Amino acid sequence: MEVQKEAQRIMTLSVWKMYHSRMQRGGLRLHRSLQLSLVMRSARELYLSAKVEAQEPEVPLPPARSPDPCLHPPREAEAAAEAAPSDGEQPSPEPMDTQEAPRAEETPARCAQRPAKVSRKRRSCSLSDGGDAALVPSKKARLEEEEEEEERASSDVLDRLQPPPAQAEGAFPNLARVLQRRFSGLLNCSPAAPPTATPACEAKPACRPADNMLNVLVRAVVAF
Amino acid sequence: MTTFRKHSSSSFNFAVHLSLTTQSRSMLVCQGPGIGSVTHKPTWALGARTKKWLLADVISTVEFSHSGDLLATGDKGGRVVIFQREQENKSRPHSRGEYNVYSTFQSHEPEFDYLKSLEIEEKINKIRWLPQQSAAHFLLSTNDKTIKLWKISERDKRAEGYNLKDEDGRLRDPFRITALRVPILKPMDLMVEASPRRIFANAHTYHINSISVNSDHETYLSADDLRINLWHLEITDRSFNIVDIKPANMEELTEVITAAEFHPHQCNVLVYSSSKGTIRLCDMRSSALCDQHSKFFEEPEDPSSRSFFSEIISSVSDVKFSHSGRYMMTRDYLSVKVWDLNMESRPVETHQVHEYLRSKLCSLYENDCIFDKFECCWNGSDRSTYSCAWQCSHLGSTWPGAGEGSHSRVWSSGPGGRLRPCSAIMTGSYNNFFRMFDRTTWRDVTLEASRENSKPRASLKPRRVCAGGKRKKDEVSVDSLDFSKKILHTAWHPAENIIAVAATNNLYIFQDKAN
Repeated sequence: MEVQKEAQRIMTLSVWKMYHSRMQRGGLRLHRSLQLSLVMRSARELYLSAKVEAQEPEVPLPPARSPDPCLHPPREAEAAAEAAPSDGEQPSPEPMDTQEAPRAEETPARCAQRPAKVSRKRRSCSLSDGGDAALVPSKKARLEEEEEEEERASSDVLDRLQPPPAQAEGAFPNLARVLQRRFSGLLNCSPAAPPTATPACEAKPACRPADNMLNVLVRAVVAF
Repeated sequence: MTTFRKHSSSSFNFAVHLSLTTQSRSMLVCQGPGIGSVTHKPTWALGARTKKWLLADVISTVEFSHSGDLLATGDKGGRVVIFQREQENKSRPHSRGEYNVYSTFQSHEPEFDYLKSLEIEEKINKIRWLPQQSAAHFLLSTNDKTIKLWKISERDKRAEGYNLKDEDGRLRDPFRITALRVPILKPMDLMVEASPRRIFANAHTYHINSISVNSDHETYLSADDLRINLWHLEITDRSFNIVDIKPANMEELTEVITAAEFHPHQCNVLVYSSSKGTIRLCDMRSSALCDQHSKFFEEPEDPSSRSFFSEIISSVSDVKFSHSGRYMMTRDYLSVKVWDLNMESRPVETHQVHEYLRSKLCSLYENDCIFDKFECCWNGSDRSTYSCAWQCSHLGSTWPGAGEGSHSRVWSSGPGGRLRPCSAIMTGSYNNFFRMFDRTTWRDVTLEASRENSKPRASLKPRRVCAGGKRKKDEVSVDSLDFSKKILHTAWHPAENIIAVAATNNLYIFQDKAN
């Protein structure tokens, strides 16, 4: 538990630093962003491994999943490996939302929360459980943040994002609501958390497959 | 091949002979013998009487010229200040070796990139001198995006007696010109002019972290986070890209370039370090694009020291070739490593700079200190001798390098008057401490660059940091270190034992008193 709290604290701190580095003179520093995302990833791994140890072994997720990489943003392999054997909750839209509320204290504040509307697309690629939903990249969140903050998103970044912008805009009210809820939960539990960044400016989730994928922040922001 | 072991002896004779002359802030002329602590520039806050220093005064780079007579510093405000060493003067015999301000100019201004909507900082990241080929001096200074070649020249004569204009410069009335005369050169007060001769711009998408002049004196490289470009000093509108590590998909980015340097003698060889702690040596003869390295230097990670932040602290912040070109030195967060270019598997030496910080990495991450980029430097390469400065009692180590001596041109005499080659490296730390490692005798010393602890002409006292347990007298405990006082930039005179240490906004120059 201590480890989880510490990892969560470090993730929060990294998020804050990443947001803050954007406001510095001279623009975003690629090296600094890279280092922050490495720390975030390590903290996330630590958090997940601590969580795995803490939880009772549950029924593993059904193997009949068909992740379609073309349609969905990649999920990290380690999340799958750790979440699958330990967490047997069926990823479904509704339970995910309801489970988030009680877990608001636990999960890291980093990620934008998926609105329920989008999660149906994710059913087939259910590498995350409800509790860890915040740790898995949110397609909507990413698109949303990209649209809001980085006008200079590269073309290959945009190509990867499947949902049309109309859908993203429609999802935005849900996103903001869920983000607020999550953020306030986090702030309550860790008073040392940095001042709130607006949800839209939240750093992107740092969930990438283990093989050399960095977080979306680096991708979108450094898209020169 | 073994890690440097600290010797417990308290007699660090090198430190004993380093002296410092302090001087007041308002005057930039040294008052005493030796060299002085020079405040980088007047630092009075606007309107206030208190001595508050401005952020723009923070020194961001220090570099001696090839002869050592000039010392250039760059700061966050985009200014370059050049100090010149006073020549020997019979009337003031003690003033030899003082560094006084020679020239000050604004090298870079803040710019705004309208396309990307971001401001380009004017902070000078690096200054590199060109070898002197005429009476004028040339240096390259760079900020995040633009490199400029500056010419610093002296003017001590003025032409007088023009026909068409009078002394003020106004045109004379044609009716009054009744006779012709030839202008004659008359002496004037020495004026030092700095003019930008070349501006190398728009070649870097990311932030420039290094520049390095090639040994052919015609080309130089500039490195940013993902690319290294090769320039010709005469051509500003194009450059060659020789290294490009940008992945096709930026999501797959795992490492960036942190420093790059040309080999001191082989104009086709360069090295660059990465954020993963690896160094790649490239030979430009092999192909136009040097993405394939010729040599790859990486030390296998010690699994016992792996921690949460080990990826960050393994990032190399500086790489420097030795003067001979046979060795190179890398600085990561906690240590300095010396590599033999012929051995890629591991460094030949590892010196711990501040190992006591390893347990504090989390707090250092919180206050951003873990991202500090320290530089390192070799000592000079001249064969100048000095007597009795060091006690070279060899510790009998198994390190085979004691005999090579080719790059360690500074000699010292040990007991019995024997001359030995001395090779030393220096790097900075926190609390205004900086560290020197004598590679020949395996001694290291921690010194402090501060006004309070350095009396005029007094020798520097070695400092010790108490990592834990009972703190002895005169030791500084780790918890009382001031992490805002960091020494990131140091420079060593190319020939003599004179060092320049930049402590935030102050520049300290120390000299070996034995001279």
